[in-house]
Amino acid sequence: MVKPLNPSKIVMLIDDNDIDLKINGKIVDFTKLFNDTVVCRSGEEALSYLKQHLTKPDLLPEFILLDIQMPEMSGFEFLEQYKKLPASFTEVCIIAMLSSTLDFSDIQRAEANPYVAKLLKKPLIPAVLLEVVKENLHR
Amino acid sequence: MDTPSVKVLYIDDEEHNLQAFKASFRRQYEIYTAISAAEGLKILQNIDINVIIADQKMPETTGVQFFKSIKDSFPDPIRILLTGYTDIEALADAINHGDVYRYITKPWSDLELHNSIKNAYDAYKAKIDLRNKVSELEKTNDELNRFIYSISHELRAPLVSVIGIVNLVKMEGLYNSSGEYWNLIEICSNKLDFYIQKTLQYYKNNKNVAEHSPVEFKGLVSELISLYSYSDKDTEFNVNINQQVAFYNDAFRIEVILGNLINNAIKYQKSTEPNKFVNIDIDVDLQRAEITISDNGIGILNDHLEKIFNQFFKSKNHHGSGLGLFIVKEALTRINGKIEVTSDLAIGTTFKITIPNGKAT
Repeated sequence: MVKPLNPSKIVMLIDDNDIDLKINGKIVDFTKLFNDTVVCRSGEEALSYLKQHLTKPDLLPEFILLDIQMPEMSGFEFLEQYKKLPASFTEVCIIAMLSSTLDFSDIQRAEANPYVAKLLKKPLIPAVLLEVVKENLHR
Repeated sequence: MDTPSVKVLYIDDEEHNLQAFKASFRRQYEIYTAISAAEGLKILQNIDINVIIADQKMPETTGVQFFKSIKDSFPDPIRILLTGYTDIEALADAINHGDVYRYITKPWSDLELHNSIKNAYDAYKAKIDLRNKVSELEKTNDELNRFIYSISHELRAPLVSVIGIVNLVKMEGLYNSSGEYWNLIEICSNKLDFYIQKTLQYYKNNKNVAEHSPVEFKGLVSELISLYSYSDKDTEFNVNINQQVAFYNDAFRIEVILGNLINNAIKYQKSTEPNKFVNIDIDVDLQRAEITISDNGIGILNDHLEKIFNQFFKSKNHHGSGLGLFIVKEALTRINGKIEVTSDLAIGTTFKITIPNGKAT
């Protein structure tokens, strides 16, 4: 389903690993799909950013790349909290999970989650990112 | 010498038998006696008995009835039945339902009974030892599982970052900036990643649980093709899938099987062949899925055909891990599938797989 246009053109990266944040930030820049990148080193940090900016739609992301294996709050636990955010935001924001997992149950669990558009495998490749964005956002 | 810590419970409704038993064996064993099944049960509930001897002919509850009644609540003590006469029916019942180890006729001979108690205690010890060993093994196995799982995650995550960095180097046009070094890093990283993936597949395949999940071949095959042909786009795929009915089997293992075969079909192409192709035909009905994967690759030597499914078998000229087809075979065995292979060095290789269609769970 193609969701309505969110003009923010902001992408949010959630990952506890600095190197992966750097790599994925570069990949995102390379695709020129977004105007701005919000980098969060944990699910908690991402949630507090989202909550703080709920009234400022132009600062909210339209696309989130979410790592699965993170200490304290895993990607799945983040999603549990995320779904409590106002529908006006979650309905226009697309989430792709991003992980190096080869674990079948992780993959199934990610794909079964209604808030997750797709599970992308690390390393992220620009072509794959372009495709997911094309499928899910008005571009 | 018997250790005095062997605990024997003797149940008999005749007081003088209890006395005689105690007199004969008190030096060798720790003896507990009970005048009825109900009394015997009370002792069992309070003391860790190793061997139970019960008289068959007792008012209210017979010996066999007693053994039956404690079958689930006290499975460990070894049972010996005593009877004054040869009662075939009681005997058969005792063996079939009461888990009785020995049968001794009254009046007993001290030597025979002594030997029986000794043997019974050995059987008891063996039983307990075995159980301890099994639970030890289960614990070790469990730890190993968790260890491999965490290693595969922790080990792979930084490796995937390395591969990501190499991709960035390519995107920024720096790949050839340091001679062939980046290329060598990429080859080594991919090789290591391949081994980690195979190891993980092998370990997961070893777990006995086969789950029944729906398999949709069209999506699965196209996903696998795009995954494995990513680095090699020369090979043409002709995919022909006829699936009108739902198919249920272990989706993970089927993915492993098809993934390995498709990967091999791509990997073992002739470098000189201008029209490299892989044909995948899948036909699904209510009974089974029949899958044929054929290629016009380098083929397999006749001598090697029997060995290709062996663990760590590799041909001299090609550097595989020696695990791929072994894992395929193992996975198929777990899900009751079959595999056949025909190959001709001039023409190519064909794998034919049959997997039963299970029921939805």
